[in-house]
Amino acid sequence: MTQLLEGRDLRYRYDAPEAVAGVSLQVSGGEVLGIIGPNAAGKSTLARLCCGLLAPDAGEVLLQGETMQRLSRRERARRVAFLPQQQPADLAFTAREVALMGRAPHLGLWFLEGPRDRELAERALAETDVLALADRPVAQLSGGERQRVFLARAFAQEAALLVLDEPTASLDLAHQVLLVNALRRRARKGGGALLVLHDLALAGVACDRLLLMLQGRVLAEGAAAEVLRADLLSRAYGTQVEVVFDPATGQPLVAPRVDHSR
Amino acid sequence: MKSAAARAGLAIAALVPLVALALAVGLASGPGSISLAAALRGQEPDATVLFRLRLPRVLLAAEVGAALSVAGVALQALLRNPLADPFVFGLSGGAAIGTALVAVFSGSALAAAASFTGLLPAQLAAVAGALVAALLVFALGRARGQLVPERALLVGVVFNSFASALVLSMEAVLKPEQTQAVLLWLSGTLGYEALPLLAGAAVALLVPALVLTALAGRLNLLALGDEGAAALGVDVPRTRLLAFFAASAAVGVSVAFTGLVGFVGLVVPHAVRLVTGPDHRIVLPASALGGAAFLVLADALARLLFRSLGAEPPVGAVTALLGAPLFIVLLRGRR
Repeated sequence: MTQLLEGRDLRYRYDAPEAVAGVSLQVSGGEVLGIIGPNAAGKSTLARLCCGLLAPDAGEVLLQGETMQRLSRRERARRVAFLPQQQPADLAFTAREVALMGRAPHLGLWFLEGPRDRELAERALAETDVLALADRPVAQLSGGERQRVFLARAFAQEAALLVLDEPTASLDLAHQVLLVNALRRRARKGGGALLVLHDLALAGVACDRLLLMLQGRVLAEGAAAEVLRADLLSRAYGTQVEVVFDPATGQPLVAPRVDHSR
Repeated sequence: MKSAAARAGLAIAALVPLVALALAVGLASGPGSISLAAALRGQEPDATVLFRLRLPRVLLAAEVGAALSVAGVALQALLRNPLADPFVFGLSGGAAIGTALVAVFSGSALAAAASFTGLLPAQLAAVAGALVAALLVFALGRARGQLVPERALLVGVVFNSFASALVLSMEAVLKPEQTQAVLLWLSGTLGYEALPLLAGAAVALLVPALVLTALAGRLNLLALGDEGAAALGVDVPRTRLLAFFAASAAVGVSVAFTGLVGFVGLVVPHAVRLVTGPDHRIVLPASALGGAAFLVLADALARLLFRSLGAEPPVGAVTALLGAPLFIVLLRGRR
């Protein structure tokens, strides 16, 4: 398997304390890695380090075996596509134009798209179920529709690695499943993904491996069953958590315990 | 769905005849009628009126209209703010201080030295003031070595307020006729420049226009936010820097010739976007053409209206008088 992403002992600080304090991770072709953890654990910072939006204070990131710093910005963007947590809401561009923007790292000096670029953008819009909205301005779409348009942009980029920060936060259940299926389909073709997720049940279903972060460090890493454990999660999130198993699939399901007497 | 290149071609094909028409109207209008045939034969006074007076003025209006519109597009994209106009980064304030200073020191050795270059001292002072302001805003609008648009915008707005306070203070000590000259300059006026100077200005404006057109695809991506653009391979700080200085240069050259012609750079880009959509690869060239046509027509109208009253036409005021209703009509016509 090709190593799409390798991060070695990454450190980054905005101010004290360190947001990411010595994290190593890998994503191979065909693999979906989920990063989970409480707020301010360093998940989003780690995602930004992995796609070159932030340069680590220490450690290094390799994309397909090559050091991030040695790659040009455009070459990076051909190898890794990034979807931030927040999308601009007031865009006058249509959904189709936004999806086409994903082709930018592949275009020449004047940024003119060819028929193949338009075809790929359209296919990406279909994949995220927004093709019917293609010619509507993004500003007129609902939050979930907009999120899917930006997912289409990331898909159209045709990078081997997708880094998605909270991709499911504004999606309804059906479209969460649609996204997971699309990611699994890409993984079968050798693509890889790194997801930052808050929904632990979805993380268990969608990801091959999970990385649980706390205060900038890795608390646990491994298959869903190894990471989604009541003791680890209770410690990481600082609240009482139970884990039960789906009788049909054996998937771990996470249930927070709320003390109603308080 | 047509490609961006095809839509840009369509927009330009529609606008080129409009510009040609505007130029014809501009050349044809003025006090007294002249004969084109007579002017071409070199017959006086028709030849002088056409080639020394109307042609330079119409060309100047076209150049400045195009430059201000392109700069407006660039700054609106840079700031992600539709209310940005070409003077928002303190350029109007800087130009005003420069002009007022020249009025205060008029008749001095400094003014005599400046007039040596062929430009009027007020023109040179306005450009110098505008460029100093741009550099100041650039220097103060940075954080961690990068131009931060919101910060630069604030610095520009504050600087413009400071400048207008300064100019008001200077006007208090000026003679009434000097105040009048400063006011006229600030409201934007078109003059009659020599053709070689106009050709030089055209080259000086073409360079920033081409730089901005080359940046058009990247300006589109800036709409996704800094991170969104960077994740698509855009060097965001460098794109900002280039767009900032290209727009400032275009505005600086315009200010040298016409003072502060308002409204064009704010509204032409909006009017164009209402028709073409937000793609800068189309909006930039279309705004250049639309801005040229608009200012030529506004000036023709200004000459017709104010010359008959025996006054120097305030082009900067006519742009708004003409443009504001036109813009509202366009805005209302679209849903």
